[in-house]
Amino acid sequence: MARWSLSLQRYRWKELGLFVIPFMIFLLEMTQLFLVDHADPLSSLTAQSLPPLYNFVPVLGLIVALLAMNLVLSIFFRKADEMLLPLVGLLSGLGVLMATRLGPDICFTSQNGSTSCLTTLGPNQLLWVILGLAVCLVTLFVLRDTGWLSRYYMIAALLGIVLVSVTVFKSLHADFNSPTHDQLNIGPLNLQPSELLKICLVIFFAAYLSENNFMLAFGRMRIGPLRLPPIKQLGPLTIMLGLALLIFFLVRELGLALLIYGIFLCMIYLASGQLRYVVTSLIVFVALGYIGYKALGYVQGRFAVVSIDVLNWSNKSDALYNAPGGAFQVVQGLIALSSGGLIGAGLGLGHPAFVPVAQSDMVFTALGEELGVAGLFAIIGVYLFIIYRGYRIAMEAMNTFDQLLAAGLTSIFALQALIIAAGNMKFLPLTGIPLPFLSYGGSSILANYIIVGILLRISYNTSLEREGIA
Amino acid sequence: MPLQIDAFLLILRLLLIVLLYLFLMQVVLAITRGLGKPVGPKTPAVLGSLVVIDRRSPCTIPLGTSYPLSVRTTIGRGPVNDIQIEDNSVSAQHAHLSYHNGQWYVQDAGSSNGTYVNGLPAGDPLPIKEGDKLYIGNIAFQIKK
Repeated sequence: MARWSLSLQRYRWKELGLFVIPFMIFLLEMTQLFLVDHADPLSSLTAQSLPPLYNFVPVLGLIVALLAMNLVLSIFFRKADEMLLPLVGLLSGLGVLMATRLGPDICFTSQNGSTSCLTTLGPNQLLWVILGLAVCLVTLFVLRDTGWLSRYYMIAALLGIVLVSVTVFKSLHADFNSPTHDQLNIGPLNLQPSELLKICLVIFFAAYLSENNFMLAFGRMRIGPLRLPPIKQLGPLTIMLGLALLIFFLVRELGLALLIYGIFLCMIYLASGQLRYVVTSLIVFVALGYIGYKALGYVQGRFAVVSIDVLNWSNKSDALYNAPGGAFQVVQGLIALSSGGLIGAGLGLGHPAFVPVAQSDMVFTALGEELGVAGLFAIIGVYLFIIYRGYRIAMEAMNTFDQLLAAGLTSIFALQALIIAAGNMKFLPLTGIPLPFLSYGGSSILANYIIVGILLRISYNTSLEREGIA
Repeated sequence: MPLQIDAFLLILRLLLIVLLYLFLMQVVLAITRGLGKPVGPKTPAVLGSLVVIDRRSPCTIPLGTSYPLSVRTTIGRGPVNDIQIEDNSVSAQHAHLSYHNGQWYVQDAGSSNGTYVNGLPAGDPLPIKEGDKLYIGNIAFQIKK
């Protein structure tokens, strides 16, 4: 039963206080974008050169949405975690600003010679963020008690499998040779059901592992030197793992398989406390990955890109650079990062659009060019704080399922950020995983806001149990 | 001298970085101010203790060893338990003790050697009072407030 009350003394002041600086940043950047676009850099700053009020409408819309969120949370969910939403709001706002900035610069020349630029990138991203905030609220209200999620986890798993199967069949039918089969196009919308699959998978693992964690911690089944959990527990786990590798082969999204496997490793270690499962699983993964590497050409291509030597440019580097689907994207990304310097070129003042797909896959390099190393580290810091908050919510949760669910969802978030940032910087092969909140893409924003909603609800339930209704 | 726009843009660029780091510092301050509150997987209130009053060899736990109890305490040999007892007669997940409406209840969690309160098996949650003898494997306990 949701108790609602609004009192000035017990309002979520901490959250409101944390919102001040992000709002200032949004207004500042909107001003900067306007000045870059419309003003002559050598003229002097007068009152006329400042942007008119209607220019600020998108950012003001975001500010109002976040304030409304704060108000609703203060009425209905006062005890939920107060630091997640400002952090997430800052990232979402930066994502909208980046999309606004990049949109007009990303242009395609069609066959009859006309160029069209993605000018609606910014407004689209803003719509998705506001929709995401609404979805977050809906999740908060709907998810009364996480217990029912743990009871119906098989349904969650089935839902995920159905989603992916539909996507795979549709895309195999349509275009067998496209680089990724992960997209479901319904009308004008471009959805990626794999984002929801990850959440379903985490729910499945959390429910399954919380029921069986003691059997996993001390199960006895020896295969040679390995000690494995008994068959009854091992079965469903290996089925889900097989799903991940199936995705790898069918959907051609090696980032997704890596992510699912990473989530699996994190959660099984958290649930059982046994390092040997992690080691065994890693060995199996490396072995299967090696087989995949040998069998699939595009995997070899991606790994070859990582091996390109940018500093000692040789003929081999040239060949890799010019090959289709080759190193061009990553090398341009590295050039963008390095041309940013310490404080960056400034939002709107750099040239991030030289990097292909700068608005979604390579947005990390776009941010690096315009905000510099200093700004990039600050953004990494924001991610780290979100991950810290997520794991702390997991630690404070009162039952095993809540703990594993929160930890698993935070691990999705952390692994996503890690894999795509490393891919942009040529540490890992580049994958199609979106950078949470900053990259352009509706399904990613929605899925991440669902994660935030679930985390907020778990923190709310935990503080209710600990401190009572008051 | 009026400010040129490119100089103003430089100020804006620097201001953005400064604001980002100020925000991070504000978050850190908010975190450290909240660290005073205790955090842990169970409620920190200690409602009583479980004291060893008897044991059969080869158990080596000294008599009188006392373990703190909270609203829900799990007992077993494994590391996932609140009270970890290193003895072969105690199963990995042996039993759990709960405190409801002023009354302690103990329930067996699927152990091999069983959990008994004054001789009665604790398949369903059994009420247990101070002075009752709780047998977990080869060890006997009593609850003390």
